[in-house]
Amino acid sequence: MSGLFPGFLTLSAAMFALGALGVMVRRNPLVMFMSIELMLNAGNLALVTFARYTQTMAGQVFALIVIAVAASEVVVGLALITGVYRSGRRLDIDALSEMRE
Amino acid sequence: MNPTFTLVVSAIALGLPTAGFLGNALSAGRLPRRVVTLVGPGVVLGAFVATVILLVELLAQPPAARGITVTFWHWLDLSVGSSTGAAARTGFNANFTLRIDPLSVLMMLVITGIGGLIHVYSVGYMAGDSGYNRFFAYMNLFITSMLLLVMSENLIFLIIGWAMVAFASYALIAFWYQRPAAVAAGRKAFITQVIGDVGLVLGTFLIFLNLRGSSGRLLHTSDLQTIFANVGPGSHYHNGLGPMGGGLVTVIGILLFLGAAAKSAQWPLHTWLPDAMEGPTPVSALIHAATMVTAGVYLIARFHAIYQEAPVAAGVVAAVGIGTALMAAVIGCTQFDIKRVIAYSTMSQIGLMMFAVGAGAYAAGMFQFFTHACFKALLFLAAGNVIHALHDDQDIRSMGGVSARMKVTFVAFLVGSLALAGIPFFAGWFSKEELLSTGLALGPAVPWLWVIGVSVNVLTSFYIFRVVWVAFRGEPATSLAAAAQEAPGVMLVPVVVLTFLAAVVGFLNIDFFGFHPVTLFSDFLQPVVGSPAGHAGAGVQALALVVGTGLSLGGLAIAWAVYGRKLVSPGLISQRLPWLYQLSLQKFYWDQIYEFSLVRPTLAVAARVRGVLEPRVFDGLVNGVRDGMSTLADDLRSLQTGYLTDYALIFFLCAVVGLIVLGLRLA
Repeated sequence: MSGLFPGFLTLSAAMFALGALGVMVRRNPLVMFMSIELMLNAGNLALVTFARYTQTMAGQVFALIVIAVAASEVVVGLALITGVYRSGRRLDIDALSEMRE
Repeated sequence: MNPTFTLVVSAIALGLPTAGFLGNALSAGRLPRRVVTLVGPGVVLGAFVATVILLVELLAQPPAARGITVTFWHWLDLSVGSSTGAAARTGFNANFTLRIDPLSVLMMLVITGIGGLIHVYSVGYMAGDSGYNRFFAYMNLFITSMLLLVMSENLIFLIIGWAMVAFASYALIAFWYQRPAAVAAGRKAFITQVIGDVGLVLGTFLIFLNLRGSSGRLLHTSDLQTIFANVGPGSHYHNGLGPMGGGLVTVIGILLFLGAAAKSAQWPLHTWLPDAMEGPTPVSALIHAATMVTAGVYLIARFHAIYQEAPVAAGVVAAVGIGTALMAAVIGCTQFDIKRVIAYSTMSQIGLMMFAVGAGAYAAGMFQFFTHACFKALLFLAAGNVIHALHDDQDIRSMGGVSARMKVTFVAFLVGSLALAGIPFFAGWFSKEELLSTGLALGPAVPWLWVIGVSVNVLTSFYIFRVVWVAFRGEPATSLAAAAQEAPGVMLVPVVVLTFLAAVVGFLNIDFFGFHPVTLFSDFLQPVVGSPAGHAGAGVQALALVVGTGLSLGGLAIAWAVYGRKLVSPGLISQRLPWLYQLSLQKFYWDQIYEFSLVRPTLAVAARVRGVLEPRVFDGLVNGVRDGMSTLADDLRSLQTGYLTDYALIFFLCAVVGLIVLGLRLA
């Protein structure tokens, strides 16, 4: 089992990098959200791996909290996206730049 | 003495005027005039009753036991030591404690008694004034502050009272704030007071930092009785300020005198008092004759333990006092404003008191304070009657002949003048003769000062009888003077009471040649200030009595010859000795000297600061910071593109950089 830890961590890092890339290059807010979810879960994976490695519970508890936060964030985010869609605008993140100076 | 009873009564004495002030001030002028008329003088008379109760309680004790400290609350107490007995505790404290002893009760009697009479008088004098409520609020505030000053056992609260009377004085001098002269006079008085406050506070600091107790340990105390117990010759560790040598106690004595000189209008801080006559006349009678200006004398008498250890400082007090007495008397001879003549007279008489307390004759100085409070308040109130009748004209040249229609006022002013001049059997005669004979008997440095002091008598009686003849006798100079009406009853009653006092209070202390001595007054003060170091022998007394009385009568005779019978032209001095006349008329040029040496340079520096330093340096600094921030913000604003992708990119880049830095540091 212990030999698998580097693998889990590598997977976690790869998922995080993929998610980060998705946030930066994609224009569709929905896809960006999915990328963010990917990053959060990469973090969760790392947390759980370390918890297992150190034989403590803190990382696992923290992963549960991250899941809860991710759920709330999606609620707010989807509400925003729905609001933008209802106002009749394109779901393109670059078109939503009214708040620049 | 019963501590609880004393505490309650002294709380009433101090609390009544405070309540009067607060009630009147917080109502912001909405109280009906009738209520103010009852409450304003009422609270002061109530405080007087409480003071009389304290006096009776004191007199019931044997002399050695007359003195009690009552503690109201421990406001700031950082002292250490056993909790039994105040003397055992040392260290800083600012407890609200009051001292009830003969000296403070004497001051309280004058403040509330004469103050109460003046409040009653004010009901008539200020009747037509739109600021009636405000006037009584300030007057009650003054009584409160003055009581706090004389009753406080703790130096911190003494200083608070000291500063509060200065404010009340400022507010009352500038009472008619529509008059620029009154506002300027109030400001001048206040600034001068603050100069004195600095001296008092510095002296307090020096005592606080250097006083040692009987074991040689630093006490860090501000309790007056603790200070005095450790300074006087009777203390175990002789002179608790000793380790620094006699120099320190001298410096402290002179610093305290700086405060006393500002409060009591002594040279060189005297110029505010004549200007203070811009205030209403009852204010002049209460603050600038009877009470506040004598607070300096009280301070020296209260701190006599320090002055007995500092002969140089005491000598400075005596010399400055006598110098001021002579200078003010010379100025008084040529002034035309009736209130200014009396103001210079006050300055001169306080100079004599300072001479007495500086020479060590504390009881004599306080006796002069007591009689002076009676006859000088009387002179001001009587002058106020005339000024009131002449619609606020204070120039004696526009009066004349008012004695025919203002008989009561005239008799009152005459009795006041006789008492002030030291004509036999009026109050001032007893106190002045005692002051001069005790002063002559004390110390080697005193005789030549005494010669000046006694020669002030001739000037005193000359200038006051000049006013009597010019203002009250002769022919009316103006139609207003010819039609002058006697003042209403509410103004006459206090005047009549004071006339009675000015005529008789001198009999409290008669000690000529040991023949049937009456020493009620000096015996009363003895537990606090002790007996004079030397006693005047019969020869000295006879000399002082004959010379002093002779000179007083001489001054009266000169005034009569010049202004009464017009045997000599008043212009004689001004023609023969024009420089002396000008010196007197121009008040020794002190105002001009201060104007050129202090006021103008200060204003010039202020103008330069305003014109150069402020726009270029201060404004430049502030504006520079503002402009820098604005430029920075403009530059930073371009980072806000509004594109979420940009933000995310920056965020990630920063995170990567942070991680790399963190990794390098861990490695």
